[in-house]
Amino acid sequence: MIGYIIRRLIQAFFVILGVTLVVFILSQLIPGGEARAALGPKATQLQIDHFNHLNGFDQPLWVQYWHYLLGLFKGNLGYSYRNNQGVTSLIAQRLPKTMVLVGASTLLSLIIAIPVGMRQAVRRNSLFDYTVTGVGFFLYAMPAFLVGELLILYFSFDLGWFPSQPPSTASAWAVFTQPQDFVLPVITLAALTIAGFSRYMRSSVLDTLAEDYIRTAKAKGAGPRRVLYGHALRNALLPLLTLIGLTLPAIVGGALITEDVFNYPGMGLLTVQAAQNDDIPLVLGTTLVATVATVLGSLLADLLYAAADPRIRLGGD
Amino acid sequence: MKINLRNRLVKGIGVGVAAVAVAATLSACGSSSSSAPSNTNLVRIAEAPATPPNYIFPFMGLQFFSVSNINQFQFLMYRPLYWFGDGQSPNVNYGLSLASAPVYSNGDKTVTVNLKNYKWSNGEAVTSENVLFWMNMMHAEKTNWADYTPGALPDDLTSVTAPNSSTVVFNLKASVNPYWFTYNELAQITPMPNAWDITATGGASNSGGCAAAPYGTADAKCSAVYTFLSKQSGYDPANPQAANNALPTYATNKIWQVVDGPYHLTHFDASGNVSFAANSMYSGPVKATIKNVNLVPFTTDTAEFNALVGGKVDVGYLPSQDITGNAVNSSTPGPNNSRLGNYNLVTGYSWSINYFPFNFNSTGDGGNAGPIFKQLYFRQAFQTLVDQALYINKIDKGYGVPTYGPVPVYPKNQFASSYEENNPYPYSVTKAVNLLKDHGWKVVPNGTSTCVSPGTGATNCGAGIAKGAQMNFNLQYSSGSTALTQLMNDEKSSWAQAGINVTLGQASFNTVLGNAVPCASTSASCTWEMANWGAGWIFAPDYYPSGEAIFATGAGSNSGSYSDATNDANINATTSKNVSLTTYENYLAQQLPVVFQPNPTATGEVNKSLKGFTPSTLQQLNPEQWSW
Repeated sequence: MIGYIIRRLIQAFFVILGVTLVVFILSQLIPGGEARAALGPKATQLQIDHFNHLNGFDQPLWVQYWHYLLGLFKGNLGYSYRNNQGVTSLIAQRLPKTMVLVGASTLLSLIIAIPVGMRQAVRRNSLFDYTVTGVGFFLYAMPAFLVGELLILYFSFDLGWFPSQPPSTASAWAVFTQPQDFVLPVITLAALTIAGFSRYMRSSVLDTLAEDYIRTAKAKGAGPRRVLYGHALRNALLPLLTLIGLTLPAIVGGALITEDVFNYPGMGLLTVQAAQNDDIPLVLGTTLVATVATVLGSLLADLLYAAADPRIRLGGD
Repeated sequence: MKINLRNRLVKGIGVGVAAVAVAATLSACGSSSSSAPSNTNLVRIAEAPATPPNYIFPFMGLQFFSVSNINQFQFLMYRPLYWFGDGQSPNVNYGLSLASAPVYSNGDKTVTVNLKNYKWSNGEAVTSENVLFWMNMMHAEKTNWADYTPGALPDDLTSVTAPNSSTVVFNLKASVNPYWFTYNELAQITPMPNAWDITATGGASNSGGCAAAPYGTADAKCSAVYTFLSKQSGYDPANPQAANNALPTYATNKIWQVVDGPYHLTHFDASGNVSFAANSMYSGPVKATIKNVNLVPFTTDTAEFNALVGGKVDVGYLPSQDITGNAVNSSTPGPNNSRLGNYNLVTGYSWSINYFPFNFNSTGDGGNAGPIFKQLYFRQAFQTLVDQALYINKIDKGYGVPTYGPVPVYPKNQFASSYEENNPYPYSVTKAVNLLKDHGWKVVPNGTSTCVSPGTGATNCGAGIAKGAQMNFNLQYSSGSTALTQLMNDEKSSWAQAGINVTLGQASFNTVLGNAVPCASTSASCTWEMANWGAGWIFAPDYYPSGEAIFATGAGSNSGSYSDATNDANINATTSKNVSLTTYENYLAQQLPVVFQPNPTATGEVNKSLKGFTPSTLQQLNPEQWSW
């Protein structure tokens, strides 16, 4: 197992390196480059040349990339002129906020989706199954901005139960000190993912209940609860584990639309605004973080899979 | 000078726009909270989406030069030598200036500035030495000053002296137009306190050796002070990529607490949450009655609109997608959004012109684009097909004003000529078609017009245009603005009526900007034809609407490489002689160096209980003049 993890981490290093190289090269194709993006329409050639010289953008590309990599190894992801802050600092501010928001909503989704999906499978084609399926599809089809706006209109503006947006000064820790501020954005995100998770869970439990070993367990006298929770649940969770692993990039990548509607400055908005503003160091930084999360998420899914199913052995073990 | 027009152009992401549209449709019953403020010592002002202030030191590079940093942040604390703007007037406002009107003498080669009795918050007087401090820094670091143009300040000075503590004398190399020098050159100066003349934290006032030195004699010392102060603001000019993340220290750094404006900083975070408290030592004409001011950050228009509905801000803006009724006229707003019952909708002009450039050197359209753009008759036909009044009414819902030339016609001002005000090229398809026909073109409405009579005579297509040349052009414009997309498509349809076939393309703001750079007709890459980044030019802090930075031959922001000897002579006269702008502006309004476009006006929302608010044409904030 340890050998497998080390091999995967080495692979991840080269994947990340490759992604930074590709994004770096693509970013150089932007007309006007970072100088024009930072200085705006009124910049003279003199000012652009001065800016490029100060920042080393007049050096060969490979030198610039090398400096970027050196900075990376020192934890310096570069400097965002647009924000007058280091990219590392910007990500450090936004990432915890997004992790709290998306993490809390994912957790809520799982807490609801797993039992609901199991119950749907056990009571297949019942009124409960049809109702949950209908509601699930309805929520699944709803755009996040619409759910968010509807929740704000009703629960914030009409009833006044919850604020329409978390205070922008709040740190990620505020989710524990001011949980009411996060209710609407968390529900918005959770509403959209519950449907997906519960559908996966339902079909997975159905498949598992049709397995021979379940029939054997029943024949040996195991009760319905023991069959479901003692034998079926663990295997039925396997597909969901993959999904959870792949949720990690979303947790660090942000939830753009929800962040937009609720004025929540997380990673999603940071990434989009960096791209819109041609803020090249920030684009590189957010891409790097997303890449790392994707690679780690994939690894985590594999490890969880192996932990949940002893029949699965990872390469080399 | 760059005032960041992106604030107005990039209106958040499309989903946000859609969100508000849907929400508005779903519920017209929700209205904002009570207008009565819960705290009469506080006013909350919405920042433009995703553009919080992020630079505090007034001597800054172009990368930090924006409305959010200057007009709506630094000006609250650090007052410029001359204050421009009084509500909807862009004129110099001597009442709010640190100095009396400058006195021009010696054939307009000597300018004397007399300071009033302003005080810094540390009790020291605002003196001539503080002005000299700025000028010395400009002498030492002119390439790092955002507004530097070769040949202008400080290159046009022979000396600056301070004969006494309240007088500064600028000696110039040549005569200047007093209007130009006051509005474009003196306007750049922000006196700096002696407490900033340091090179290390805790240094004694004036220990940097820059402020008190005779003009231009302390470049090395001033550079050291500049580097130190820039670092305190978060930017290291010696190593720009090594960010020091100074933003969270702004409110606690003692340097920045020495102010001569009506407020000082009490809170600042990197997310854009900014709080000010009244400066008890403020010596301006109006003392603040509202003691605290908060700037509130927003990620997008949608979030700002929701905050308005929820009563979370007192002064904000109405996103264009949330305007529900047409304006009565350019100065009188129409009905407010029904969900904002506790706000007054206000509208304000921008001291700007809107246009997009032709590339006169373009090798596009098979080499025909540049030569065709150089023909006055073509530019006249092209402009004649731009129905500004219709677009303002239809797309901007009446919240806009036309641009007819290089000087803003609105707000009403003493610079705009009657020729320009009367629209030299009113909309007319017939006139446009005739202009082309009269110059050797076979016009195919909704097709592609073709040159059938090449040559340089009065009835020919013009120099460099071959027989069979077609009017096929490319126009790239900024994505992200529904209004701009609609405008471009409407104009394309209009141009098509004269067989001018314009192919539209969208790209990001910066991509459009990066493509639309001056280039030579001999360059193979000089293929761009027309480019519209969605905004023209704001005259701030170069408040005098002269054209040396935009339309002069070789000017840095003359994107389309327009070149005309008469125009160059006219521009030169507006800066060096005591003449009005009339000759210059009439010539360009007739010559059409760019395609003039409708210019949207601002739509603000102000709590009904807030008194004294007037929208500023220069986008400044004067909360010291407001009350509950």
